[in-house]
Amino acid sequence: MVSSSYLPGILLWPLAGAVVTALGRHRFSQRSLAAIGSGTVGLAFLHGVAAWLQLRSLDPGQVLVFPLWRWAAGGELAVTLGLWGDPLALWWALIVTGVGFLIHLYSAGYMAGDPSFGRYYAQLNYFVFAMSLLVLSDGLVGLILGWGNVGLASYLLIGFWHRRDAARRAATKAFLITQAGEVAMLLGLFWAAAAFGELHYPALFARLEGVPQGTLTAISLLLLVGAVAKSAQLPLHTWLPDAMQGPTPVSALIHAATMVTAGVFLVCRMWPLFSASGVALQVVAWVGGLTALFGAVVAGAQWDIKRVLAYSTMSQVGYMLLGAGVGAFAASAFHFFTHAFFKALLFLAAGVVIHRLDGEQDLRRMGGLRRSMPFTFASFLVGLGALAGLPPLAGFFSKDEILAATRQAGEPLLWALGVAAAALTAYYSFRLLALAFLGPEGPAVQATSSRRAGGEGPWTMLLPVGLLLVGAVAAGWLAIPGVTAVPAQVLEGTFRGQAFHPEGDSLTLTASLLAALVGMGVALARFRPSRPVPQVGPPGLAEAGFELDRLFRHLTVEPGLALARVVAWVDRRGVDGLVNGLAWLTGQAGERVRRLHRGQVRRSVVTLLGGAALLLVGSLWLLSSF
Amino acid sequence: MPLAAYLLVSLVLFVLGGLGLMIRRNPLVLLMCVELMWNGANLAFVALGRGLEAMSAHVFAFVVITVAAAEVAIGLAILVLVFRGKARQDVDEVNLLGERG
Repeated sequence: MVSSSYLPGILLWPLAGAVVTALGRHRFSQRSLAAIGSGTVGLAFLHGVAAWLQLRSLDPGQVLVFPLWRWAAGGELAVTLGLWGDPLALWWALIVTGVGFLIHLYSAGYMAGDPSFGRYYAQLNYFVFAMSLLVLSDGLVGLILGWGNVGLASYLLIGFWHRRDAARRAATKAFLITQAGEVAMLLGLFWAAAAFGELHYPALFARLEGVPQGTLTAISLLLLVGAVAKSAQLPLHTWLPDAMQGPTPVSALIHAATMVTAGVFLVCRMWPLFSASGVALQVVAWVGGLTALFGAVVAGAQWDIKRVLAYSTMSQVGYMLLGAGVGAFAASAFHFFTHAFFKALLFLAAGVVIHRLDGEQDLRRMGGLRRSMPFTFASFLVGLGALAGLPPLAGFFSKDEILAATRQAGEPLLWALGVAAAALTAYYSFRLLALAFLGPEGPAVQATSSRRAGGEGPWTMLLPVGLLLVGAVAAGWLAIPGVTAVPAQVLEGTFRGQAFHPEGDSLTLTASLLAALVGMGVALARFRPSRPVPQVGPPGLAEAGFELDRLFRHLTVEPGLALARVVAWVDRRGVDGLVNGLAWLTGQAGERVRRLHRGQVRRSVVTLLGGAALLLVGSLWLLSSF
Repeated sequence: MPLAAYLLVSLVLFVLGGLGLMIRRNPLVLLMCVELMWNGANLAFVALGRGLEAMSAHVFAFVVITVAAAEVAIGLAILVLVFRGKARQDVDEVNLLGERG
């Protein structure tokens, strides 16, 4: 363990940026706010790179640490906070700050002219700080602190346009669901504290031996509930599509590239616990596999361009959990890496489209954008190709590694799920491409084409898209089967030979490639340029997300409202009734007494003398009775 | 004369004063009625002091005389102030402490 002064920089720069932009949001110009907001995240990224280089210069197996302070101590348990820079943490931190920087830059163009520009940057910086805290902390307590702060940042940013009713509802929904998961996580944390007596990662992992299998599984599953809620996995995913109410760069940063992968990070971080349980790892794999398929099916039926991408995110995070669930943690982290590039690319490019169409998000009203937006078209082509898993783009290699690991881990059923999801992924990817970019120009495109003044957007928007484009093409080359294996090598310091590294698998390669081509072919044939324009109709089962929202409504929201109504009635009639009744009695009594006080002297005298006479008679009667 | 006769006179004085307070409307008369009641009480004190050989009753009588003097001074001052504002000499119209309306 080597102390590193670069680690706190990754956290502190975004935090400083958040404070400065929040306090100066009315004083600074939008230009300087954007510069401060983006610059601090850029500095955080540079600190991450420096920490990474420092880690590489050490012996393998060494980690960077930065102790902070002792937070609480009680009984046998002492909670100390600190930063922990092992390969996995830095891997995540680099992507969070790197992709985060590009999205901050992009936001300067996308949010230009918004009256709450400073608030936006403060919240975005705060998010980067919270996420860095989550990944860099050296124990479960720090992780949960980061986890909660990330949830708050997400809530603020989804509800950024808080005058929109839908945005407020979506923010509340996302917060409530992820908080419900957090409660389970907290229970897991308490149980872990009781079972292990340690919450600091290495100390906790050293005590896994000798703890009953059932306890390990229970703790893992409680942590998994939190991960499922945060990563929008079945069945707690319903907040993610609604979260697209936030500004598009927020969707890109939080709900595609970074925050939703926190669950994957948690499983990878706690891998010794999950591996020791075994059963928990199986559950992870099944949750991931089913979500991958479910998300892909629902994504293929959505008409809102951002909802397609949201369900696609859910499906891709499912792949990551599938990989982690079969023990291929490095493959999972690698898919997170490539996914961050191509999904951020897709969201930012979708933002360019939405920006160009004055906020139109319905695919049925788009079409023919290929001619007027060639650069965005190329971005989508690459991003969707990478998503669909076409070689040599990024998604191909990482998804293939996960599928190969699933097959070689002896899970043919999960493997089949994964391949089916791959086919559907290609289908919805190219469906989106065909609907938005091919064919004749749609009504929304025609309506806005006259006002378009050269270019597809400001440079601050196009530069990040271009950089992510390069990443989406090249990120996968880090792990070409049989040629390179960079993620497996660099993450060795965390997984210590325990992660499952699949061999090159020609069957999986062929199957997933075939699946992708079939999905693509079907999509392009169904949505060919001469197709009839799809009409707006009642949503089908898949478009409505299999009505899970309604199920949750009946299971949780309606009983909650009914209970609230009962409580409200008891409050109004019972509690308020008692208080109001007392007040009424006092009022009536006062009304009677009031008649004695008219302020007339002679009346007062009558009362006075009458009272004195009564007292006299009373005291005489008392005296005589003794 | 027996003690009861003195006490009877004192009672008559007290009741006359009380009735006057309740019946009359002229504030000056009211003040005199209060004096009548003081006197009734004082007569009872003095008579009982003599009849029962109780010294403290005489002391009370002096206290009452002092307090009655102070009361008359304050009462007359209030009456003068009230008459400056009101033309008629009727206590029924002096109801500033009562509720309005």
